[in-house]
Amino acid sequence: MLQAQQQAQTTDIESRPAGTVAGRLLRAVRSGGSNSTLLRQIALVSLLLAAIFPLFGGSFFTRLAIEALLFGCIALSVDILLGYAGLLSLGQAAYFGLAAYVAALMYLHVTQSFWLVLLTASASVGVFSFLLGAVAIRAKGVYFALITFGVAEILSKITHNTRAIGGSDGLIGIPVPSIRLLPGLEIEFANNYVFYYLVLGTVCLLYLGTRRILNTAFGSVLRAIRDNSDRVPYLGYNPFWYKLLAYVMAAQIAAFGGLIYPLLRGFVAPHLFGFEVSTKAVVMSLVGGVGTLIGPLMGSVIITFLESVVGSYTERHLILLGIIFIVFVMFLPDGLCGLAQRTFGAGRKVKP
Amino acid sequence: MIRVIDLSKSFGALRAVNHLSFEAMPNCITSIIGPNGAGKSTAFNLIAGTLRPDSGRVELEGHDVTGEPAYRLAKLGVARSFQITNLFFGLSVLENVRFACQSLESRNRFLTRLDRLSAPVRRATEILEEFGLDESADQLVGNLSHGDQRRVEIAICMALTPRVLMLDEPTQGMSPAETAEIDTLIKSLAGRVTVLLIEHDIDLVMNISDHVIVMHQGRKLFEGPPNEVRASPAVREAYLGAEHAAA
Ligand SMILES: Nc1ncnc2c1ncn2[C@@H]1O[C@H](COP(=O)(O)OP(=O)(O)OP(=O)(O)O)[C@@H](O)[C@H]1O
Ligand SMILES: [Mg+2]
Repeated sequence: MLQAQQQAQTTDIESRPAGTVAGRLLRAVRSGGSNSTLLRQIALVSLLLAAIFPLFGGSFFTRLAIEALLFGCIALSVDILLGYAGLLSLGQAAYFGLAAYVAALMYLHVTQSFWLVLLTASASVGVFSFLLGAVAIRAKGVYFALITFGVAEILSKITHNTRAIGGSDGLIGIPVPSIRLLPGLEIEFANNYVFYYLVLGTVCLLYLGTRRILNTAFGSVLRAIRDNSDRVPYLGYNPFWYKLLAYVMAAQIAAFGGLIYPLLRGFVAPHLFGFEVSTKAVVMSLVGGVGTLIGPLMGSVIITFLESVVGSYTERHLILLGIIFIVFVMFLPDGLCGLAQRTFGAGRKVKP
Repeated sequence: MIRVIDLSKSFGALRAVNHLSFEAMPNCITSIIGPNGAGKSTAFNLIAGTLRPDSGRVELEGHDVTGEPAYRLAKLGVARSFQITNLFFGLSVLENVRFACQSLESRNRFLTRLDRLSAPVRRATEILEEFGLDESADQLVGNLSHGDQRRVEIAICMALTPRVLMLDEPTQGMSPAETAEIDTLIKSLAGRVTVLLIEHDIDLVMNISDHVIVMHQGRKLFEGPPNEVRASPAVREAYLGAEHAAA
């Protein structure tokens, strides 16, 4: 009786991912949760280290740290989807790239007002992510990953082939504006330290905001979706809207990184949309710990610095990325935060 | 309370549910029994919004709810459990039940911090006590015994304060002692809620059902009070026939 039923129900009740990479990652995140005291402590220590970093870092590494924080936004956005809604996006760079291009084009041709650029980039990403999300979320399992991957690649190819927006060379010579925070208070991006603390502050706010939003009834629906999406409708929730909201929110966070990127490097290029950036963000989340929010930001710092160091010796830093990915999936699927939780969490339990 | 009118569903050439009609009376236990593959679970899938019927209608208190999606039916008061345990295995027992209770909260509280949303926690705690699950509240559902998992299935359905409770073989895989406990539990719920119960085994449902529907090969073979079921030659034929076929 059971066997016949099992066979009958697997067609409409999607079986949980078991042997897949996504399945491994998902199982790893179940124990944690962005709210544990230990994760808060890790976040606080990271912030302190980040705050004093420019005192030792010098201008090259300070700028590299800015880049790490910007790519960290994509990693954070991957984590919202994978760690909370159980959706593996292989195309989060699309929103980074989209925001970067919108910002670059606006600065070059339309306006020097940071706020206007912010609004335009955010609105474009909002509309695009809503539409793509509405399609991609209906696709089950691996097809979500494939659609997000495919669309990001298409965007990359389109920019690559469109002369009007720089083609394969991208756009260069983007002017660096100043931001008017308040009337009479202008902030210059040209100063590395001002730039760094501005980005660090904003990323902190994004992290705290995300943590707050996920620690709500909304967040608990996402966790239930991650655990068993098919059961959720029978409890009166329509998973579609929750996933879509998470998707749009994640896209906005990736977009923030893209919005600032042209101001850091002075150029944008088609590779910003590309598979390499998207997968790097997944590896960053994995290294830090999926489902922890702070882990992916740490992961981004680690990977970005590692790449910069290794990149000065060899062109083949992608191999390194691949090796890191395999090692973490196999031996440390809950990432460095997971390791910390097991080490210190277990240590604490021994004491009465 | 809930009425099914001429419901049909085919999978390819197989007519899994074939012109099925019945009505479940308020606050009664209506049981659907029948041999393997009779179409019982498929009927549930059609009623609870998992599948769309090819033809026919489903009415809830006189309103047509045919083809409504599962999440809307749940909101309307139709709660169902699954034959194969279908829970949030990576979340705690309390969180499973709390999450179900939370769906009764008004939609504009969905950005309220969880620690300020206390009503679902309180209600979930009560339900866990009622179901004898309070001891394991903090355990992951995946670590529970099969019997306790089956209890959680019923508990999260009841957390929705449903009008119609649909249970698909709730005692599946349980020991006779556990089965007896669950039967008592279901009986105690019947005063509050309309129960639609699928059972594989005729004997189990006899003493708790008010009304029994026997399905066979997608069709309704018999309908009536429990004491008449076993007397029916057609029913005996179907059960014996199925066992002969299986042997
Ligand atoms: N999604 C599906 N796709 C194809 N065939 C299906 C599907 N669901 C059920 N069936 C078939 O329809 C028939 C009725 O299945 P159903 O699960 O409703 O039986 P059941 O009465 O619940 O039996 P059991 O006592 O084994 O649970 C079976 O032959 C089954 O194989
Ligand atoms: Mg069945």
